[in-house]
Amino acid sequence: MSKGTSFEIPIGPQHPALKEPESFTFVVDGENVVDVKPRIGYNHRGIEKALEARTYLQNLYLIERVCGICSHAHVFCYSQNVEEAAGIEAPPRAKYIRTIVAELERIHSHLLWVGIAAHEIGFDTLFMYAWRDREVVMDLLELISGNRVNYAMNTIGGVRRDIQSDVAEEVRKGLQKLEERAKYYTGICTSERTILRRAVGVGILKPADALTLSAVGPTLRASGIGRDIRRDDPYGAYDEIPFNVITHDGCDVASRVIVRLGETLEAIGIVRYALEHLPEGEIKVRAPRTVASNESVSRVEAPRGELIHYIRSNDTDKPERYKIRSPTLGNILSVCKMLVGGYVADIPIVLAAIDPCFSCTDRMAFVDIEGEREWHMTGEELRRYGIKWYEAKG
Amino acid sequence: MSMEGELLKSLSKKPITLRYPYEKAAPLKGLRGKHSWDPAKCTGCGMCARVCPAFAIEIFGKGKEAELRVHLDRCTFCGQCEESCAPGALKLTPEYELAAFSHEQMVIDFKRPNGPPQQT
Amino acid sequence: MTMSGELLQLAEIIIYPGIIFIFLVSFLYEWIDRKFYARLQNRYGPLYTGPSGILQPFADFIKLLAKEDIEPEAVDRGVFRTTPILILFIPLLGTLLIPISGLSAVVHFEGDLIFLVFLLTLIAISIFLAGWSSTNRFSTIGGVRAALQMISYEIPLTLVLISPAILAGSLSITGIVLWQSARYPLIIFQPIGFVVAVICFLAELERVPFDIPEADTEIVAGWMTEFSGRKLALLRLSRDVETVLAAALLSAVFLGGPAGPGPPELALFWFFLKMTAVALIFTNMRALFARLRIDQMMNTFWKYILPLSLAQVFLSELISLFLI
Repeated sequence: MSKGTSFEIPIGPQHPALKEPESFTFVVDGENVVDVKPRIGYNHRGIEKALEARTYLQNLYLIERVCGICSHAHVFCYSQNVEEAAGIEAPPRAKYIRTIVAELERIHSHLLWVGIAAHEIGFDTLFMYAWRDREVVMDLLELISGNRVNYAMNTIGGVRRDIQSDVAEEVRKGLQKLEERAKYYTGICTSERTILRRAVGVGILKPADALTLSAVGPTLRASGIGRDIRRDDPYGAYDEIPFNVITHDGCDVASRVIVRLGETLEAIGIVRYALEHLPEGEIKVRAPRTVASNESVSRVEAPRGELIHYIRSNDTDKPERYKIRSPTLGNILSVCKMLVGGYVADIPIVLAAIDPCFSCTDRMAFVDIEGEREWHMTGEELRRYGIKWYEAKG
Repeated sequence: MSMEGELLKSLSKKPITLRYPYEKAAPLKGLRGKHSWDPAKCTGCGMCARVCPAFAIEIFGKGKEAELRVHLDRCTFCGQCEESCAPGALKLTPEYELAAFSHEQMVIDFKRPNGPPQQT
Repeated sequence: MTMSGELLQLAEIIIYPGIIFIFLVSFLYEWIDRKFYARLQNRYGPLYTGPSGILQPFADFIKLLAKEDIEPEAVDRGVFRTTPILILFIPLLGTLLIPISGLSAVVHFEGDLIFLVFLLTLIAISIFLAGWSSTNRFSTIGGVRAALQMISYEIPLTLVLISPAILAGSLSITGIVLWQSARYPLIIFQPIGFVVAVICFLAELERVPFDIPEADTEIVAGWMTEFSGRKLALLRLSRDVETVLAAALLSAVFLGGPAGPGPPELALFWFFLKMTAVALIFTNMRALFARLRIDQMMNTFWKYILPLSLAQVFLSELISLFLI
């Protein structure tokens, strides 16, 4: 493997290629990547523990802040989870409004991703244009929910705000502009020669590997496997809205671009259909303050893939245990597979192609495979452990 | 070369960015910004302080004598206080330029009966 | 008489059209580049420092001079400290060879075109030394990439700069400008040469699509990673001076430089006009493409650019034998 000419490059925790801290140590030989060792956990904030100390209503706003870009997906999953544990169901109008906001967030996330991916390959112009058009969808979300990120639309039992007809009209106009821009970007990304040279054939993930390494979301669908929670396990209003699951067979970065831009166009279609068929009725039902002892699992298709939440309640107004598994955690093993054998210059674009959201990802669990030991650490102990580890590393 | 047409078109268009602070984006209606309090309607029930997820509201006194203190640096602008306020005394206005140089400047003391709220 | 003649020469070298003038022009061209780049992206660019942001590059320079200059322990001190100065002054020396304020340059001799190409190579070697002496993993990769890039663009660039000399019959830039002022700009016979020269200069200036040695999303800042404070200020200024050198050289050799219709006092005006046109072309290329990988860049240059430059030289020979 290494003939004494290889050395290690640390990408992260701080690096211009990563928008969020995560450590990947690459063993490179010239320009070829020989091996990669990931270490996750740099963005751990103790959210799961904090959830246990607040009531269900307060947790709505804490859960939003697990991630800035997929915040609504997390709250959607949480509200569904608590509603199922409490045995209530949101009214149809609320489900449609939740779906509309979820799809608008998907558009927002994918446009943001196009900009970031362009920046990673040095194409700052596309970055500026994609983020300019992202302002359209952010203004729409501000109109609907009152904030550009962290929309706080959901409550337990439904949604907090209604979509009036003048707001719906603005949304339709904005969607028109977004559709035209999304088609333009699809044209650019499939015809601009420098982008194609950086993206085609880069970061290959074969379908068999994708399945064994538990890839999710657009990363999986760009390898030709059409799994989408919205179709396989419908939630919200997705069982009543027709849409296509976009897949592509290329297995490389260019396919992931095509899948994401295709999903943006599909999302625009879903929002239009939902606005047309918005059912009348109330927007929320009364939720109980305490939730009886119950367990529940809920899954949602976040912009990055499959998001799973688990809750255990115990008859009080605070959850006993809450667990979040976010899609990027599922994609990290696949990204390590994609990086080995490539070039150093491809590292940022391959990392960006799984749309990493390390804020969502970091939960801590020390697992002793052989023995029975469990670790519980306070914040101060964790800090000291980290300092000792870095000193030992040299 | 695919984006050349778009680039040349941009030369003739006005730039999309705003020359802040000389030009500002008007906040859309319904934006959740700074709090406003109507002392005439407040009954001092304390629901706002109890539901706040960031523990940003403090209530002093009881009933019709109650006064509020809002810590804007802890506030997440979720609007739960506005939603839980039954008489509709606490509302969120669209004012969003709230930056300050110290923590003390970010605390609003809503007092009565001296009329408009003071910001220390 | 000779005393004041020498004093005049010294003033020409240091003040106008020499060092201080070139520094001011470099700041001006960085501003032009940033504004045009921003307008291509539908935004404003520098806006508040000075009218329309024209003092922004100068303000950035002053700010960097005032920052702390951190030197890591493991660097090779002598080389590390000398290379920023070298990288700044070599292009400055090059600009003295280009006619700016009149039809002849401050320094001109037969063969100064070759000397200029040699200076460009020296810049690339200094960049490699800067990256190597930093003993940082990212700098090493950046320095090696810079050396690889130089190997690829140097031959086409030399060829394509020599072919106007073949037509003008002189290896001195001043001589080429004089030939063009008497007849017509050489770009008429050298369209391929001009395009190839622009591409090679994009690689020399390390601009997108060839900013591979300082790819900021991949290797932090490439060979510039460990430089900070005053050294970084010098490096950023040197990048602007190189841009001025490239634009001035291209406009002198292909477009006729200060030569143009009208009285000889308008020389400076023509010079600025042509230089601005070339600088805007550089900026447009910068906004239009993504960054290539080093192996793709070498592929492009050896397979396509080098044959084109050879074809251009061949064409120039034919034209000079049969047409003029």
